[in-house]
Amino acid sequence: MLAYTVRRILVSIPVLIASTFIVFLVVVNAGDPVANFATSRQPPPSKAAVAAFARHIHADEPAVQRYWNWITGVLHGDWGPSVQPNLDIGHDLFTRFRVTLTLVAAAMLIALVLAVIFGVFSAIRQYTAADYTITFFGFLFLAMPVFWFAVLLKQAGIWFNEQTGSQFLGTIGEKSPYLEVDTTWNQFTDRIGHLALPTITLALVSFASWTRYTRASMLEVLNSDYVRLARAKGLRRRTVMVRHALRTALIPLATVTALDIAIILGGAVITETIFQWHGMGEMLVESAATVDVYRTMAWLLLSAVVVIGFNLLADLLYAVLDPRIRYD
Amino acid sequence: MRAQPSALTRGLALAAGLVLALAACSSSGGGGSSDKGSSAGLSSCNTQGKANTCNSAATKSGGTFTYVLEKNIQQWNVQDTNGNTFENAEALEVVLPQVFVPLPDFTVALNKDLVTSATQTGTSPQTLVYKINPKAVWNDGTPVTADDFVYYWRTNDGKDCPPPPASDSTQTKGCLPQSTAGYDRIKSVTGSDGGRTVTVVMAKPFSDWKQLFGAGYPLYPAHIAEKLSGAKAGDAAHMTAAQMTQGWQYFQKNPPTKYPTAGPYKMTQWVDNDHATFEPDPKWWGATKPSLQRLIFKVISDATQEPIALRNNEVQAIYPQPEVDLVNQVKSIPNVTYNIGNGLQWEHFDLNLHNPVLGKYTALRQAMFTAISIKDIMSKTVAQFDPSVKQLGNHNYVPGQAGYQDLVTATGQGSGDLTKAKKYLTDARFTGVGTALKTPDGQAVGPFNCRYTTGNQIRQSECQILQSDLANLGVKVTIKPIGAADLGTVLAGHQYDIIVFAWVASPFPTANAQQNWVTGGGGNYGGYSDKQVDSLIAQAVGTTDQSKAAALLNQADKIMVDAAYVLPLYQKPTFLAVQTRFVNMRNNSTNVGPPYNTAEWGLKK
Repeated sequence: MLAYTVRRILVSIPVLIASTFIVFLVVVNAGDPVANFATSRQPPPSKAAVAAFARHIHADEPAVQRYWNWITGVLHGDWGPSVQPNLDIGHDLFTRFRVTLTLVAAAMLIALVLAVIFGVFSAIRQYTAADYTITFFGFLFLAMPVFWFAVLLKQAGIWFNEQTGSQFLGTIGEKSPYLEVDTTWNQFTDRIGHLALPTITLALVSFASWTRYTRASMLEVLNSDYVRLARAKGLRRRTVMVRHALRTALIPLATVTALDIAIILGGAVITETIFQWHGMGEMLVESAATVDVYRTMAWLLLSAVVVIGFNLLADLLYAVLDPRIRYD
Repeated sequence: MRAQPSALTRGLALAAGLVLALAACSSSGGGGSSDKGSSAGLSSCNTQGKANTCNSAATKSGGTFTYVLEKNIQQWNVQDTNGNTFENAEALEVVLPQVFVPLPDFTVALNKDLVTSATQTGTSPQTLVYKINPKAVWNDGTPVTADDFVYYWRTNDGKDCPPPPASDSTQTKGCLPQSTAGYDRIKSVTGSDGGRTVTVVMAKPFSDWKQLFGAGYPLYPAHIAEKLSGAKAGDAAHMTAAQMTQGWQYFQKNPPTKYPTAGPYKMTQWVDNDHATFEPDPKWWGATKPSLQRLIFKVISDATQEPIALRNNEVQAIYPQPEVDLVNQVKSIPNVTYNIGNGLQWEHFDLNLHNPVLGKYTALRQAMFTAISIKDIMSKTVAQFDPSVKQLGNHNYVPGQAGYQDLVTATGQGSGDLTKAKKYLTDARFTGVGTALKTPDGQAVGPFNCRYTTGNQIRQSECQILQSDLANLGVKVTIKPIGAADLGTVLAGHQYDIIVFAWVASPFPTANAQQNWVTGGGGNYGGYSDKQVDSLIAQAVGTTDQSKAAALLNQADKIMVDAAYVLPLYQKPTFLAVQTRFVNMRNNSTNVGPPYNTAEWGLKK
């Protein structure tokens, strides 16, 4: 397994280089940040300021040379200059990754647990009222646009606050600005109050699709010969379900969730925007809008590493879940 | 300048609007709203002469007040090109002093806490004398002196601290002031009376002298720059370029939590991309002591989320660009007062004179501008939430400013008068008027493109109305959006025939005029050039008499209006909404924004 892991990591290096190179060329040609700088302010910057800006972001160098300088710089911890003044891209990247991680972690855990429970339940009780209800809500959450649902949740949050006369649920940011001096307990509840709404938003959307996967995969397994055999052998229903059926049914779910989580760690753009969490999603949107080459590349690099990492994790999980699979 | 809302934010706004429409059906809430431009406390702000005094009341001590900043602040030197942002000006004016402060009615007021008087004592050479308030002191105990003015001048004149040389790979070894206007005309700045009197002698006269050492660009503590660069204390006059650069960079990188300030509040905390916390400064000597316990500036970068945060009491005041949905949402929030004011930003159509046909025929341009109906444009866009909006008639001044004269409407430009427009063309011997327009020498006119920033619904409508208006003359127009990040490329590369965007007017219009209308000016993207205009504007900049400067600017503008180069449409509305339990906030549409008077903000008594 170790050899396999090392091999997979080594294979991913050329993938990373190729993908970053292609994206680098695309971003470099996506717009002209120097012209934007020259026209975005009033009074317009002096010619000296425009020239200084162009030199600062290396806009006057050939793209291939810039790419080489960038990639060798990254290996030494230098992420390159941003078009935004005073922005340390490395610091920005990891701060934002932490923010997105905070936002996503709880949501994904809740979504996963609920998806498995409801998916299995729905499969076992196929075509019952319970199955129809779960299916109905699954499709409802799937069909609901996130930006609409999130805003609706915010209104519900405000209604809750008004009814309870409290300020428990927050709609903006990770925490209230003035609680730094308050007690630990208040800070804790403030954090929870700010996490609640975006977590529900993210969790419900992922839950909706994952519960469909679990149900489908569970149904397939329940109808297979070995499960029938297990039942015929007289094993207890619970043992058949959990040890034989569920374990197999989780294999496709492992792939789907691993990839979904990897992608969402690259930024839950809409949820982050609506709840004003300054995470990876906002970073991507800002970088693209300002043609910020090095910042976009930093985002891409981390997101690519996360996707590759979670892909590997999914493959390794196969081995744990399916005894027939061995990596040598 | 503010960024335009993206397609994403538009979608969010629409969704928010829908949700609120649903919410409104079930709730009986909503107090203090009216169909006029304002409500409750801010209702009198649009009345003539009330802009600077409306929403006034006595305050009681205590309370935390959270105001929204729409962008993060990354660079703290507002005098620097990179740091010259609206949000930076808003945050710094709370803690740093400036001589003249722009007011909501677009006039400027002397900041008597900093200087007891600022007068022009001579005109040849132009001499300015500032008497510093004897109580004025940085909060580390160092008095504010002439040295702070000397440091300001020498870092901003473009000569004593020059821009970084090309050989500097980091591009940090030098000063890049946002504008050297005025400072480059100063001959000397000297202190007397123990440094409490500052005498400025100009080498060349400068009409907008009240802009110096303030107007949104406050003073930084020179003694800190001297200390950290190893220069002699109190001797900014002899600092080297390298020493000044060190100070310049220090103020770029460090928020004012790190160095002594001299305002009603001190900034006690800055959390990047999140918020600034201000607390009353015990060292504040000014006439008005802040009554708030705490003032917070919270960064919310998506304007559509601001009304929700206001409703949830997470913020107490918002200052977003108004849109129909947003204004309606705020109207439904109880105990919130709001004001729609006329801003200093003005929307306009520009013609690109680099286009050979547009550049050659003045009659064609006049006809095009005359055929456009600004009334139609307004009624289909901004008038939907601001019925009081009017056509703007000047390129340098807005109504309310002393120099304002309507020079445009009398020419018929923007009237939609088709007969008059067609007459321009037939008189100039154009053919195919109303069908397929051709120049007198038989060349086809157009098709022209009309360009606007993508996702901006208002500007899209403006291009559409222009398209149908010009079709009546036989001119075909195609509408071509500009990618979110490409406005700069399009402007600087002259990649347009007709473009619609906004300029920001200023209480000090001569510098803007020099940038935008003079041959080769940094903002003169369409390539307008007229020797007489150049000379009139140069004279306006160089006079010591402001009313004479205004007359000269208007004389130049008359020539420019006749040349039909830029058609002003209307002033963009601004929108301030505040909870009614707080008072003394006003809609200041200038470059300093509503926080121009934070010392007065407080809980209503």
